[in-house]
Amino acid sequence: MTADTTPRSIDDYLAQLRRALEGADRAMIQDALSDVEEHLRAECAARPGESEEAVLRAIAGSYGSPEDVAAAYRETERTVQAAFAPTRPTATTAVAVEQSALRRFFSIWGDARSWTSLVFMLLSLVTGIFYFTVVVTGVSLSLGLAILIIGVPFFVAFIGFTRVLALVEGRLIEGLTGERMPRRATPVAPGGWLARIGAMLRAPRTWTTLVYQLLMLPLGTVYFTVAITLAALGLGLLGGSVVGLLQGLGFEVVDGWQTSVDGTPLSGLEALGVALASLVIGALLLTAMLHLARLVGRIHARIAKQLLVAD
Amino acid sequence: MDDPGTDDIARKFQRDLNAGLVALVLLGVLAETDEDLYGYDIAKRLQRVRDGEALFKEGTIYPVLRSLAASGWLSSRIVPSYSGPPRRYYRITDEGRAVLARWRSVWRDTRDFVDQFTGPASPQTSATDPTP
Repeated sequence: MTADTTPRSIDDYLAQLRRALEGADRAMIQDALSDVEEHLRAECAARPGESEEAVLRAIAGSYGSPEDVAAAYRETERTVQAAFAPTRPTATTAVAVEQSALRRFFSIWGDARSWTSLVFMLLSLVTGIFYFTVVVTGVSLSLGLAILIIGVPFFVAFIGFTRVLALVEGRLIEGLTGERMPRRATPVAPGGWLARIGAMLRAPRTWTTLVYQLLMLPLGTVYFTVAITLAALGLGLLGGSVVGLLQGLGFEVVDGWQTSVDGTPLSGLEALGVALASLVIGALLLTAMLHLARLVGRIHARIAKQLLVAD
Repeated sequence: MDDPGTDDIARKFQRDLNAGLVALVLLGVLAETDEDLYGYDIAKRLQRVRDGEALFKEGTIYPVLRSLAASGWLSSRIVPSYSGPPRRYYRITDEGRAVLARWRSVWRDTRDFVDQFTGPASPQTSATDPTP
């Protein structure tokens, strides 16, 4: 049954496990992947000199196939957790379906991922400028130095640096959006210097990484601008409406405050209405911003995965 | 593959049994030692005890370790490793020891009860337990 799909490497095993866990909770998938990776790497370390393929074949019976392991995680999530910790509200998805649309819309305020994604949007202007500068400087210096003997080592060092940056960016993305990204730099292919440089130049990821880092400048600018604009607008409306409401109810919060539309002062009741309206609009705007941040986080993580992670 | 019968059925029965047993065994292993153990270590200890075919797949103990930790019965910490990704070390908590004590008696009662009806060997000729 599994004869022809036996994983040939740890990465292969992890890919099969990921497939077997498709649709399951993200965090659970991530736990499963890191547990399996930890075990398999320990197993390989315990059998020095054997290839990953040989080790995987040797432990196929005792460790379990990706499907076995996936089933164990799903099963544990379903039964053990429900039985051991019945008070913990783990079945949030089922509850969410029953909630009203309005509550679901506003529940994003409690979603940590949307806040961290917002942080990512704000941060990406800085990282974007940095990556762009590094790549443009590196490429132009490499071209300029190409005629000198120093050009080659410089270029190699530059590419190495972009890989480190890509890894750091991956960690940042995983931390802020939850999308699993590589934890370690991919091992360098064996062989002499020339072979390694050749492999590096042939690897599509080398070039897609550069593209990603260039792309981060415009993307980062857009993310930052959108996030800041929505946040400022939303907070401004909320702040104004609070003062307007208090003022309308007779509290003198700000001396000489007058609610006006296009310079025309409003009567007390009208002012109250405007304040209420801006309260609602501000709240909706901030909520929409959080939804947008979550969406951007997801989409961006997908882009990053395409460009930064080797197949 | 032509006969999906007995083997699959036996495996499924084993899986169903394991749902709670794995947790019991893991608590037992961790209660026996003063060291912190990581998953691979625990898996190897289980293998050593039972030569030959393992009762459950090594890969299936990890989710249970996590859920035991989530229940507060194990504490865990992450330690960087030279050979690869960081390792998660587990240690049993006092709460875990209390749970284990309760489970042990439940397990003993269950085993005795089940043996009463299904034991192929009568208590006198039990192959697994040579002590009187």
